[in-house]
Amino acid sequence: MRVLALAGRRLAASLPTLVLILVGLFLLLQLAPGDTVDALMAQMGGGDAALAEDLRRFYGLDLSIAARLGQYLLRLVTLDLGFSAIYGKPVATVILERLPATLLLMAAALSFAFFFGLVLGVLAARRVNRWPDTLISTLGLIFYATPSFWFGLMAIVLFSVHLQWFPAGGFYEIGEGLTGLALTLDIARHLVLPTLTLGLIFLAIYLRIMRASMLEVLSLDFVRTARAKGLTETRIVTRHVLRNAMLPMITLIGLQAGTMLGGSVVVETVFALPGLGRLAYESVVQRDLNTLLGIVFVSALLVIAINFLVDLLYAKLDPRIVSGG
Amino acid sequence: MTALNRRDTLLLGAAGMIPTGAMAQETPRKGGVLTVHFATEQRILNPSLQASTGVYIVGGKIQEALVDLDNDGNPVPVLAESWKSSPDGKTHTFKLRQGVTWHDGKPFTSADVAFTAMEMWKKILNYGTTLQQFLTAVETPDAHTAVFKYERPMPQGLLLRALPDLGYISPKHIYETGDIRQNPANTAPIGTGPFKFVQYERGQFIIAERNTNYWRPELPYLDRVVWRVISDRAAAAAQMEAGQILFSPYSSLAISDFQRLSRDARFEVTTKGNEGNARTNTVEFNHRNPVLADVRVRKAIGHALNIPFFIENFLGTFAKVGTGPIPSVSTAYYPTSGIPQIGYDVALANRLLDEAGQRRGAGGVRFSVRLLPAPWGEDISLFATYLQQSLQQVGIRVEIVRLDAAGFLRSVYNDWSFDLATGWHQYRNDPAVSTTVWYRSGQPKGAPWTNQWGWQSDAMDRTIDDAATEVDPARRRALYAEFQKLAQTDVPILTPIEQIFVSVFNKRVRNAANNPRWASSSWHDTWLAS
Amino acid sequence: MRALKAFFRSPPAIIGLLLVLAVVAMGLAAPLLYPNDPLGLAGRPLQWPGANPRFPLGTDPSGRDIAAQLFHGARISLLIGFVATSIAVVIGIGIGAVAGFYGGAADTVLMRLTEAFQTLPNFLLLLVLVAVFGSTMEVVTVAIGLVSWPPVARLTRAEFLSLRTREFVYAARIQGLPDWHLIFREVLPNALPPVIVYASVVMAVAILLESSLAFLQLSDPNVPSWGNLIGLGRSVLRTEWYVSAIPGVAILLAILGVSLLGQGLNDALNPRLAPR
Repeated sequence: MRVLALAGRRLAASLPTLVLILVGLFLLLQLAPGDTVDALMAQMGGGDAALAEDLRRFYGLDLSIAARLGQYLLRLVTLDLGFSAIYGKPVATVILERLPATLLLMAAALSFAFFFGLVLGVLAARRVNRWPDTLISTLGLIFYATPSFWFGLMAIVLFSVHLQWFPAGGFYEIGEGLTGLALTLDIARHLVLPTLTLGLIFLAIYLRIMRASMLEVLSLDFVRTARAKGLTETRIVTRHVLRNAMLPMITLIGLQAGTMLGGSVVVETVFALPGLGRLAYESVVQRDLNTLLGIVFVSALLVIAINFLVDLLYAKLDPRIVSGG
Repeated sequence: MTALNRRDTLLLGAAGMIPTGAMAQETPRKGGVLTVHFATEQRILNPSLQASTGVYIVGGKIQEALVDLDNDGNPVPVLAESWKSSPDGKTHTFKLRQGVTWHDGKPFTSADVAFTAMEMWKKILNYGTTLQQFLTAVETPDAHTAVFKYERPMPQGLLLRALPDLGYISPKHIYETGDIRQNPANTAPIGTGPFKFVQYERGQFIIAERNTNYWRPELPYLDRVVWRVISDRAAAAAQMEAGQILFSPYSSLAISDFQRLSRDARFEVTTKGNEGNARTNTVEFNHRNPVLADVRVRKAIGHALNIPFFIENFLGTFAKVGTGPIPSVSTAYYPTSGIPQIGYDVALANRLLDEAGQRRGAGGVRFSVRLLPAPWGEDISLFATYLQQSLQQVGIRVEIVRLDAAGFLRSVYNDWSFDLATGWHQYRNDPAVSTTVWYRSGQPKGAPWTNQWGWQSDAMDRTIDDAATEVDPARRRALYAEFQKLAQTDVPILTPIEQIFVSVFNKRVRNAANNPRWASSSWHDTWLAS
Repeated sequence: MRALKAFFRSPPAIIGLLLVLAVVAMGLAAPLLYPNDPLGLAGRPLQWPGANPRFPLGTDPSGRDIAAQLFHGARISLLIGFVATSIAVVIGIGIGAVAGFYGGAADTVLMRLTEAFQTLPNFLLLLVLVAVFGSTMEVVTVAIGLVSWPPVARLTRAEFLSLRTREFVYAARIQGLPDWHLIFREVLPNALPPVIVYASVVMAVAILLESSLAFLQLSDPNVPSWGNLIGLGRSVLRTEWYVSAIPGVAILLAILGVSLLGQGLNDALNPRLAPR
């Protein structure tokens, strides 16, 4: 119950930010050349001016900006995200269809980056300034400097075109009628390359942070005490050091949730994944204001939720922090 | 009815009698799933509401039109069994096929035709609204006769060549209540066609299955058609190679992949079956810019382009030099002689520019222009770059302004804020459907793909208007030859490249490409070799 | 001086400096080595590297010399990176300084704004800005600057928060010096070093953002940027993968250089944090 109340309070605190973003984006997009009817006309391949006018009326684009903004915000209060002109169905449905791919991709990339960042960071810190450290740190730097879309393209060339280990794109094999375990495995196979691509830069960051905070913690008094008590080095690391060294990494997850969502625009484009990032890009191009604002709304909630979870986790890991305080 | 008209009609009727499978040498095999590349997602799938290839590729198998085109591009009966026209061109009577049922079991009647024509073609269907502007009523004397009444003469040739694309019929009983634009059948179409809609999973696939009650006996051969949504060209090429898709329509793969796949024995890469979907690449001029208002400058720009070089090096064998707005595949209207051409001649281009008073200034630059390329089609962006490179040679500095679809349409056709634009002009079997609007003055501001150039010519306007209502086919043909000549003399826009959509088939697909709009057609006789 | 020595004792820092210098040299040499327009038609499209001695790195799908574009592209990447970073740093310092120095309502409002920018995925905002204002180089550069300032603002604010209570600030305040003097003359100089170091991160991200935009065909097509080249190569990836591969390596090395340089500076300026 306490957690729920805390979550509620957190959400309420973020509301002004959220409204600021939505109103800002709404107004910004009014300045864009062309509207969603222009995009529709392009999709249809032609039509006359009367048809365009008719469509504008149909989608309420003939109203004033203030009226439309007011309508939008009023509907939002009832959690109604509106109707998508381009997809011809409610925005909530459109987003729900695309959410799984993005959530799966983000979760996979985050887990991948977190796990390997942790392992490599610990390894590097334990062998500081020796060759494993140099190797790992150099790799980290290179990963950090690699443009993700380029890495994705090169991975396609190598692993899909030449080695044919993984599919070049898509979420799962359509029309094979796979279910259950087979479907899960198939989706996993499709997500390997996108996960690597999206996770790489975060892996580099986590690895660097982990290495640094390991070094920091290893030099603290309680570690010396533990060593003096004759505990093995592995035991010291797993029992005492890791727990403390992980704190900055967890903070970082919260900070980067938004960045990761942005990164998935490019990764989903490279691998033709039917996800939220790609949908956001399409709705900008199609001037599908309702869908874009809906995505921003949902992703902001997502970012807030992740940060909330991070805080809970943080409180659990660091006994000095009392949750809710 | 003139003698020629009657003969036409008889011939057309006869052509429709030939069983369509007769051309194949092998015995068709029943069964199999045809998997098709679906490159751009559509908001709706009903072709009586939206005329575009992205809709036909799916909706054209589920719903049917009154007529279709045969192998030689002549209209053949589908839902209409025969037709006749009054001499003044104001009345067209269609006898409808009997014993046809909708996928939900209800009978198909003339009421469906009247409803679709008046409520969809005339009010909602893009290009249909223009074509049927003077349609006043569709009378239904009995359940199998539909009489189209026009306020002004409607040439039979125009109507019959437009109807394969703009003549799809929807069921009245599904659409008569509620808002047509929001009808659930728009994305789950109900038709009379050889395939019944099963499922549309956004962003992933569409499935249709064999209509066991189809009016053509024993057809279709295929069990199912599955369209896979693949927006990424490279991914689509990979699936083609893996056999996961068997057909990729409408030039949806990368140009380099066409060349690569055409060397692979498993595939056929061809423009055949797309003759009804010709397009020309355009260079659109803003005549409000005084420099471009000078015909010498426009011609100079044409002369500065080495189109054969561009085609050979960038587009491959699937394009040819454009000779005017009416493409050479339009056998009914293409004028064979007397049309001025604007060939590659840099010296002439320079001379024309000098004569126009556009002398070279600092850095050899005569003047600068902003070029807006349409954001569809790889060839358009390649051509924009080539334009930039070529015009630089004659002293014209080109700045490419990249916009997305909405921005492009708005800037060019509504705000007129461009100097040059380049995109596609789609030819739809008759110049009056979507070609003459590029040249006729008085187009409402904001209508895309129409004359928004600020150019007007009385001779051109008169020719276009006369041809639109001319019921005599020979005179009509002569008027369009005149139209082509005027277009190439005044050069309000350039049409330097002619292209036909490229299809890529797996060779297992049989009876493929056996009509000029095959990708859009119903596939009732398509079958798969094992 | 000590910092300089520390910098030159660190091999990664030197490698970073060399890489950055190499990119700068490429940019400077571009007009000498390739005086012609790098976007002009140079020859047959899609010639493999080495296939034609005139084009050591081959030609792209539009028949342009990849090597020429690579050299001229160095200027574009550096220019966009530098200008966008400057914009981000100026905005970030401005907002961070005011928020940190004054605290209270100003801090709350400015931090809400910063939060808004950070909650919205910055690449998404960048897409919207480019869709609205067009894909010219000026717009792209300014837009990248506009989406990159929040971390700088947070960093500056944190520095200001800790510095404003220091004695030297009190001393100046008691003398009755105006706020602007306190901000610009007293606090900012002390807050600047970590911000400048962080600017290297912003610059690396700016170069990445531009190339991502270009990859989506949303950057300025009239300049020979590395990202444009990768985007162009995408349609021929299966067969002529070198078109995308070559400029990608260039971006990688440039960003590596900038980050190593930044890290080297950081270690030299903050010896406490230097790798042990």
